[in-house]
Amino acid sequence: MWNRLIFSAAAVAAIFALSPASRGRNAAQQRPLPDISGVWLVENFQPRLFPKGGAPFTPWAEMKFKATDLQTNDPNLACLPMGVPRFMIAVPYPMEILPMPTRIIIIHEGPQVMRQIYMNRQHPKDLDPTYSGDAIGKWEGNTLVVDTIGFNDKTWLDGGGLPHSEKMHVVERIRRVDHDTLVDAITIDDPMAYTKPITAQQVYKLKPGWEIQEYVCEENNKYTYQGK
Amino acid sequence: MRNHLLVFTATAVLLQLSFAGATYAHHANASFDMTNSATVKGTVTGFDWTNPHAYIYLDVNGKDAVEKWSVEMGSIGMLARAGWRRDTVKPGDEITVIGNRAKDGKTFLRLSKLVFASGQELTTTVQ
Repeated sequence: MWNRLIFSAAAVAAIFALSPASRGRNAAQQRPLPDISGVWLVENFQPRLFPKGGAPFTPWAEMKFKATDLQTNDPNLACLPMGVPRFMIAVPYPMEILPMPTRIIIIHEGPQVMRQIYMNRQHPKDLDPTYSGDAIGKWEGNTLVVDTIGFNDKTWLDGGGLPHSEKMHVVERIRRVDHDTLVDAITIDDPMAYTKPITAQQVYKLKPGWEIQEYVCEENNKYTYQGK
Repeated sequence: MRNHLLVFTATAVLLQLSFAGATYAHHANASFDMTNSATVKGTVTGFDWTNPHAYIYLDVNGKDAVEKWSVEMGSIGMLARAGWRRDTVKPGDEITVIGNRAKDGKTFLRLSKLVFASGQELTTTVQ
Protein backbone atom coordinates (compact mmCIF):
# COMPACT_ATOMS: atom_id res chain seq x y z
CA MET A 1 0.00 0.00 0.00
CA TRP A 2 2.63 2.57 1.05
CA ASN A 3 4.79 1.47 -1.82
CA ARG A 4 1.93 2.07 -4.23
CA LEU A 5 1.25 5.53 -2.74
CA ILE A 6 4.88 6.51 -2.99
CA PHE A 7 4.97 5.26 -6.55
CA SER A 8 1.84 7.30 -7.38
CA ALA A 9 3.28 10.41 -5.80
CA ALA A 10 6.45 9.94 -7.80
CA ALA A 11 4.43 9.48 -10.98
CA VAL A 12 2.44 12.68 -10.33
CA ALA A 13 5.66 14.54 -9.63
CA ALA A 14 7.15 13.20 -12.83
CA ILE A 15 4.12 14.24 -14.87
CA PHE A 16 4.20 17.69 -13.29
CA ALA A 17 7.88 18.01 -14.03
CA LEU A 18 7.26 17.14 -17.67
CA SER A 19 4.29 19.51 -18.10
CA PRO A 20 4.89 22.24 -20.70
CA ALA A 21 4.85 25.08 -18.15
CA SER A 22 7.48 23.63 -15.87
CA ARG A 23 9.54 22.33 -18.78
CA GLY A 24 9.67 25.85 -20.16
CA ARG A 25 10.82 27.22 -16.83
CA ASN A 26 13.48 24.55 -16.45
CA ALA A 27 14.65 25.06 -19.99
CA ALA A 28 15.07 28.76 -19.32
CA GLN A 29 16.98 28.05 -16.15
CA GLN A 30 19.14 25.29 -17.50
CA ARG A 31 19.66 26.30 -21.11
CA PRO A 32 23.35 25.85 -21.71
CA LEU A 33 25.24 28.98 -22.64
CA PRO A 34 26.94 28.99 -26.04
CA ASP A 35 30.39 27.46 -25.76
CA ILE A 36 33.10 29.81 -27.01
CA SER A 37 35.89 28.19 -25.01
CA GLY A 38 39.09 27.10 -26.69
CA VAL A 39 42.25 28.42 -28.30
CA TRP A 40 41.54 30.72 -31.25
CA LEU A 41 43.77 32.38 -33.84
CA VAL A 42 42.87 35.17 -36.26
CA GLU A 43 42.10 33.70 -39.67
CA ASN A 44 43.86 36.49 -41.52
CA PHE A 45 46.28 38.88 -39.87
CA GLN A 46 45.90 42.45 -41.04
CA PRO A 47 47.58 44.90 -38.67
CA ARG A 48 45.76 47.95 -40.07
CA LEU A 49 42.08 48.83 -39.73
CA PHE A 50 42.34 51.11 -42.77
CA PRO A 51 45.02 49.58 -45.04
CA LYS A 52 44.23 52.12 -47.76
CA GLY A 53 43.78 55.08 -45.42
CA GLY A 54 40.54 57.01 -44.99
CA ALA A 55 39.99 56.82 -41.23
CA PRO A 56 37.37 59.43 -40.24
CA PHE A 57 39.71 61.45 -38.05
CA THR A 58 38.72 64.49 -36.09
CA PRO A 59 41.35 67.27 -36.37
CA TRP A 60 42.67 66.23 -32.93
CA ALA A 61 43.19 62.61 -33.99
CA GLU A 62 44.62 63.54 -37.38
CA MET A 63 47.26 65.68 -35.71
CA LYS A 64 48.19 62.82 -33.40
CA PHE A 65 48.25 60.33 -36.28
CA LYS A 66 50.51 62.53 -38.43
CA ALA A 67 52.98 62.88 -35.56
CA THR A 68 53.20 59.09 -35.18
CA ASP A 69 56.22 57.09 -36.34
CA LEU A 70 55.53 53.36 -36.50
CA GLN A 71 59.24 52.62 -36.04
CA THR A 72 59.55 54.40 -32.72
CA ASN A 73 56.13 55.21 -31.23
CA ASP A 74 54.38 51.84 -31.20
CA PRO A 75 53.72 50.97 -27.52
CA ASN A 76 54.29 47.39 -28.58
CA LEU A 77 57.99 48.20 -29.05
CA ALA A 78 58.18 48.68 -25.30
CA CYS A 79 56.30 45.42 -24.70
CA LEU A 80 53.37 47.47 -23.37
CA PRO A 81 49.90 45.95 -23.73
CA MET A 82 48.14 46.17 -27.09
CA GLY A 83 44.96 47.25 -25.32
CA VAL A 84 41.41 46.87 -26.59
CA PRO A 85 40.44 46.79 -29.44
CA ARG A 86 43.90 46.12 -31.00
CA PHE A 87 44.16 43.14 -28.67
CA MET A 88 41.13 41.59 -30.40
CA ILE A 89 41.66 42.55 -34.03
CA ALA A 90 45.31 42.97 -34.91
CA VAL A 91 47.30 40.34 -33.03
CA PRO A 92 48.61 37.27 -34.88
CA TYR A 93 49.07 35.18 -31.74
CA PRO A 94 46.45 32.86 -30.31
CA MET A 95 44.07 33.64 -27.47
CA GLU A 96 42.31 31.26 -25.13
CA ILE A 97 38.76 31.96 -24.00
CA LEU A 98 37.93 30.60 -20.55
CA PRO A 99 34.27 30.99 -19.54
CA MET A 100 33.77 31.14 -15.76
CA PRO A 101 30.51 31.40 -13.81
CA THR A 102 30.64 35.18 -13.46
CA ARG A 103 33.35 36.17 -15.93
CA ILE A 104 34.75 35.31 -19.29
CA ILE A 105 38.53 35.42 -19.27
CA ILE A 106 40.60 35.83 -22.42
CA ILE A 107 44.31 35.07 -22.21
CA HIS A 108 46.39 36.35 -25.09
CA GLU A 109 49.69 34.67 -25.84
CA GLY A 110 51.58 37.71 -26.95
CA PRO A 111 52.14 40.11 -25.47
CA GLN A 112 50.84 38.01 -22.61
CA VAL A 113 47.85 39.76 -21.11
CA MET A 114 44.52 38.79 -19.60
CA ARG A 115 41.19 40.39 -20.38
CA GLN A 116 38.25 39.96 -18.01
CA ILE A 117 34.66 40.35 -19.16
CA TYR A 118 32.30 40.61 -16.18
CA MET A 119 28.95 38.91 -16.76
CA ASN A 120 27.23 39.86 -13.51
CA ARG A 121 27.59 43.59 -13.06
CA GLN A 122 27.42 47.03 -14.63
CA HIS A 123 30.34 49.39 -15.21
CA PRO A 124 31.55 50.92 -11.95
CA LYS A 125 31.38 54.69 -11.71
CA ASP A 126 34.52 56.81 -11.81
CA LEU A 127 36.72 54.24 -13.53
CA ASP A 128 40.48 54.56 -13.50
CA PRO A 129 41.62 54.53 -17.15
CA THR A 130 43.32 51.24 -18.06
CA TYR A 131 44.79 49.50 -21.12
CA SER A 132 41.97 46.96 -21.39
CA GLY A 133 39.21 49.15 -19.97
CA ASP A 134 36.26 47.78 -18.02
CA ALA A 135 34.40 45.09 -19.94
CA ILE A 136 30.93 43.80 -19.11
CA GLY A 137 29.15 41.11 -21.10
CA LYS A 138 25.72 39.62 -21.63
CA TRP A 139 24.33 36.93 -23.86
CA GLU A 140 21.80 37.90 -26.52
CA GLY A 141 20.81 34.52 -27.87
CA ASN A 142 23.98 32.96 -29.18
CA THR A 143 25.85 36.27 -29.27
CA LEU A 144 28.09 37.53 -26.49
CA VAL A 145 27.73 41.31 -26.37
CA VAL A 146 30.70 42.97 -24.69
CA ASP A 147 30.62 46.63 -23.71
CA THR A 148 33.96 48.20 -22.79
CA ILE A 149 34.76 51.69 -21.48
CA GLY A 150 37.32 53.15 -19.10
CA PHE A 151 40.32 53.13 -21.40
CA ASN A 152 43.53 55.05 -21.11
CA ASP A 153 44.76 56.73 -24.29
CA LYS A 154 48.15 54.99 -24.37
CA THR A 155 47.26 52.39 -26.98
CA TRP A 156 46.42 52.36 -30.67
CA LEU A 157 43.31 50.94 -32.31
CA ASP A 158 45.51 48.84 -34.60
CA GLY A 159 49.08 48.31 -35.72
CA GLY A 160 48.92 51.32 -38.02
CA GLY A 161 49.01 54.02 -35.36
CA LEU A 162 45.33 55.00 -35.16
CA PRO A 163 44.96 56.98 -31.92
CA HIS A 164 42.03 57.09 -29.54
CA SER A 165 40.99 59.06 -26.49
CA GLU A 166 39.88 58.05 -23.01
CA LYS A 167 36.31 58.61 -24.26
CA MET A 168 36.43 55.49 -26.47
CA HIS A 169 33.50 53.08 -26.17
CA VAL A 170 33.85 49.65 -27.74
CA VAL A 171 30.96 47.26 -28.33
CA GLU A 172 31.70 43.76 -29.55
CA ARG A 173 29.29 41.09 -30.74
CA ILE A 174 31.09 37.77 -30.48
CA ARG A 175 29.47 34.69 -31.99
CA ARG A 176 30.59 31.17 -32.79
CA VAL A 177 29.19 30.87 -36.29
CA ASP A 178 30.24 27.23 -36.65
CA HIS A 179 32.32 24.75 -34.66
CA ASP A 180 35.64 26.07 -35.96
CA THR A 181 34.82 29.75 -36.44
CA LEU A 182 34.36 32.67 -34.06
CA VAL A 183 33.46 36.15 -35.30
CA ASP A 184 33.89 39.42 -33.39
CA ALA A 185 31.96 42.33 -34.90
CA ILE A 186 33.38 45.46 -33.33
CA THR A 187 32.05 49.01 -33.14
CA ILE A 188 34.47 51.68 -31.93
CA ASP A 189 32.86 54.95 -30.91
CA ASP A 190 35.19 57.78 -29.92
CA PRO A 191 33.74 61.19 -30.82
CA MET A 192 36.91 62.95 -29.71
CA ALA A 193 39.00 61.01 -32.24
CA TYR A 194 36.60 59.98 -35.03
CA THR A 195 33.71 61.79 -36.67
CA LYS A 196 31.69 58.56 -36.87
CA PRO A 197 31.85 55.08 -35.32
CA ILE A 198 34.32 52.65 -36.88
CA THR A 199 33.12 49.11 -37.47
CA ALA A 200 35.36 46.14 -38.09
CA GLN A 201 35.11 42.39 -38.02
CA GLN A 202 37.64 39.77 -37.03
CA VAL A 203 37.34 36.06 -37.77
CA TYR A 204 39.09 33.51 -35.60
CA LYS A 205 39.69 29.81 -36.22
CA LEU A 206 39.66 27.17 -33.51
CA LYS A 207 43.09 25.60 -32.94
CA PRO A 208 42.50 22.17 -31.38
CA GLY A 209 45.49 20.89 -29.45
CA TRP A 210 47.15 24.29 -29.16
CA GLU A 211 48.16 25.54 -25.73
CA ILE A 212 48.99 29.12 -24.84
CA GLN A 213 52.77 29.40 -24.66
CA GLU A 214 54.93 31.60 -22.48
CA TYR A 215 55.80 34.92 -24.10
CA VAL A 216 58.08 37.14 -22.06
CA CYS A 217 58.36 40.17 -24.31
CA GLU A 218 60.98 41.88 -22.14
CA GLU A 219 63.37 38.92 -22.40
CA ASN A 220 65.20 39.86 -25.59
CA ASN A 221 63.51 43.00 -26.89
CA LYS A 222 65.98 44.78 -29.17
CA TYR A 223 63.61 47.57 -30.13
CA THR A 224 63.38 51.07 -28.71
CA TYR A 225 60.21 52.87 -27.80
CA GLN A 226 60.25 56.64 -27.80
CA GLY A 227 56.81 57.29 -26.38
CA LYS A 228 54.06 59.28 -28.02
CA MET B 1 31.62 53.93 -42.89
CA ARG B 2 31.82 50.18 -42.69
CA ASN B 3 35.32 48.90 -42.73
CA HIS B 4 35.45 45.18 -43.20
CA LEU B 5 38.85 44.44 -41.82
CA LEU B 6 38.83 40.83 -42.80
CA VAL B 7 37.07 38.80 -45.40
CA PHE B 8 35.79 35.26 -45.00
CA THR B 9 37.03 34.07 -48.37
CA ALA B 10 40.75 34.63 -48.27
CA THR B 11 42.61 32.54 -50.79
CA ALA B 12 45.13 30.00 -49.61
CA VAL B 13 47.92 32.10 -51.05
CA LEU B 14 46.80 35.23 -49.24
CA LEU B 15 46.44 33.28 -46.03
CA GLN B 16 49.95 31.95 -46.32
CA LEU B 17 51.35 35.36 -47.13
CA SER B 18 49.56 36.90 -44.23
CA PHE B 19 50.88 34.30 -41.85
CA ALA B 20 54.39 34.41 -43.24
CA GLY B 21 54.35 37.83 -41.66
CA ALA B 22 52.16 36.88 -38.80
CA THR B 23 54.91 35.95 -36.40
CA TYR B 24 56.30 39.49 -36.61
CA ALA B 25 53.61 41.39 -34.79
CA HIS B 26 56.01 42.99 -32.37
CA HIS B 27 56.86 45.78 -34.76
CA ALA B 28 55.89 47.18 -38.13
CA ASN B 29 57.40 45.87 -41.35
CA ALA B 30 58.31 49.32 -42.59
CA SER B 31 62.01 48.93 -41.79
CA PHE B 32 62.36 45.89 -44.08
CA ASP B 33 62.34 45.79 -47.86
CA MET B 34 59.21 43.71 -48.27
CA THR B 35 59.25 43.87 -52.07
CA ASN B 36 62.53 42.02 -52.56
CA SER B 37 63.76 38.72 -51.24
CA ALA B 38 67.38 38.42 -50.13
CA THR B 39 69.40 35.20 -49.84
CA VAL B 40 72.41 34.97 -47.53
CA LYS B 41 74.66 31.98 -46.87
CA GLY B 42 76.82 31.75 -43.78
CA THR B 43 77.98 29.98 -40.65
CA VAL B 44 75.89 30.10 -37.49
CA THR B 45 77.63 31.77 -34.55
CA GLY B 46 74.63 31.98 -32.22
CA PHE B 47 70.91 31.32 -31.79
CA ASP B 48 68.66 33.26 -29.40
CA TRP B 49 65.62 31.09 -28.68
CA THR B 50 63.81 34.02 -27.06
CA ASN B 51 60.81 36.33 -27.16
CA PRO B 52 59.59 38.62 -28.55
CA HIS B 53 61.82 37.37 -31.39
CA ALA B 54 64.24 34.56 -31.99
CA TYR B 55 67.54 35.46 -33.71
CA ILE B 56 70.17 33.59 -35.68
CA TYR B 57 73.62 35.18 -35.87
CA LEU B 58 75.69 34.42 -38.94
CA ASP B 59 79.24 34.97 -40.17
CA VAL B 60 79.04 35.61 -43.90
CA ASN B 61 82.03 35.79 -46.20
CA GLY B 62 81.87 39.22 -47.79
CA LYS B 63 84.03 40.72 -50.52
CA ASP B 64 86.69 42.00 -48.17
CA ALA B 65 85.86 40.69 -44.73
CA VAL B 66 83.52 38.51 -42.74
CA GLU B 67 80.16 40.22 -42.30
CA LYS B 68 78.19 39.77 -39.09
CA TRP B 69 74.52 39.17 -39.91
CA SER B 70 71.50 39.05 -37.60
CA VAL B 71 68.43 37.15 -38.72
CA GLU B 72 65.13 37.90 -37.00
CA MET B 73 62.21 35.52 -36.62
CA GLY B 74 58.90 35.63 -34.76
CA SER B 75 57.93 34.53 -31.28
CA ILE B 76 59.18 31.14 -30.14
CA GLY B 77 55.61 29.99 -29.46
CA MET B 78 54.65 30.49 -33.11
CA LEU B 79 58.00 29.17 -34.36
CA ALA B 80 57.49 25.99 -32.35
CA ARG B 81 54.12 25.57 -34.07
CA ALA B 82 55.94 25.98 -37.40
CA GLY B 83 58.27 23.12 -36.49
CA TRP B 84 61.20 24.97 -34.92
CA ARG B 85 62.98 23.86 -31.73
CA ARG B 86 65.56 25.46 -29.45
CA ASP B 87 68.28 23.40 -31.15
CA THR B 88 67.08 23.80 -34.74
CA VAL B 89 70.34 25.58 -35.54
CA LYS B 90 73.65 25.33 -33.72
CA PRO B 91 76.91 27.28 -33.89
CA GLY B 92 79.00 25.95 -36.75
CA ASP B 93 76.01 25.00 -38.94
CA GLU B 94 76.30 26.12 -42.54
CA ILE B 95 72.91 27.53 -43.53
CA THR B 96 71.21 29.69 -46.12
CA VAL B 97 68.62 32.23 -45.03
CA ILE B 98 66.02 33.79 -47.28
CA GLY B 99 64.00 36.81 -46.26
CA ASN B 100 63.67 40.58 -46.31
CA ARG B 101 66.70 42.76 -45.65
CA ALA B 102 66.62 45.94 -43.59
CA LYS B 103 66.03 48.99 -45.78
CA ASP B 104 68.84 50.92 -44.12
CA GLY B 105 71.39 48.50 -45.57
CA LYS B 106 72.35 46.91 -42.26
CA THR B 107 73.28 43.20 -42.31
CA PHE B 108 69.91 42.42 -40.81
CA LEU B 109 67.32 40.07 -42.31
CA ARG B 110 63.74 39.13 -41.49
CA LEU B 111 63.55 35.41 -42.14
CA SER B 112 61.04 33.70 -44.41
CA LYS B 113 62.86 30.42 -45.03
CA LEU B 114 65.88 28.57 -43.69
CA VAL B 115 67.76 26.05 -45.86
CA PHE B 116 70.04 23.59 -44.08
CA ALA B 117 73.28 22.29 -45.66
CA SER B 118 71.37 19.06 -46.36
CA GLY B 119 68.92 20.99 -48.51
CA GLN B 120 66.12 20.53 -46.01
CA GLU B 121 63.97 23.64 -45.63
CA LEU B 122 62.10 25.21 -42.73
CA THR B 123 59.82 28.24 -42.93
CA THR B 124 58.39 30.50 -40.27
CA THR B 125 54.87 29.83 -41.52
CA VAL B 126 52.33 28.24 -39.19
CA GLN B 127 50.02 26.02 -41.17
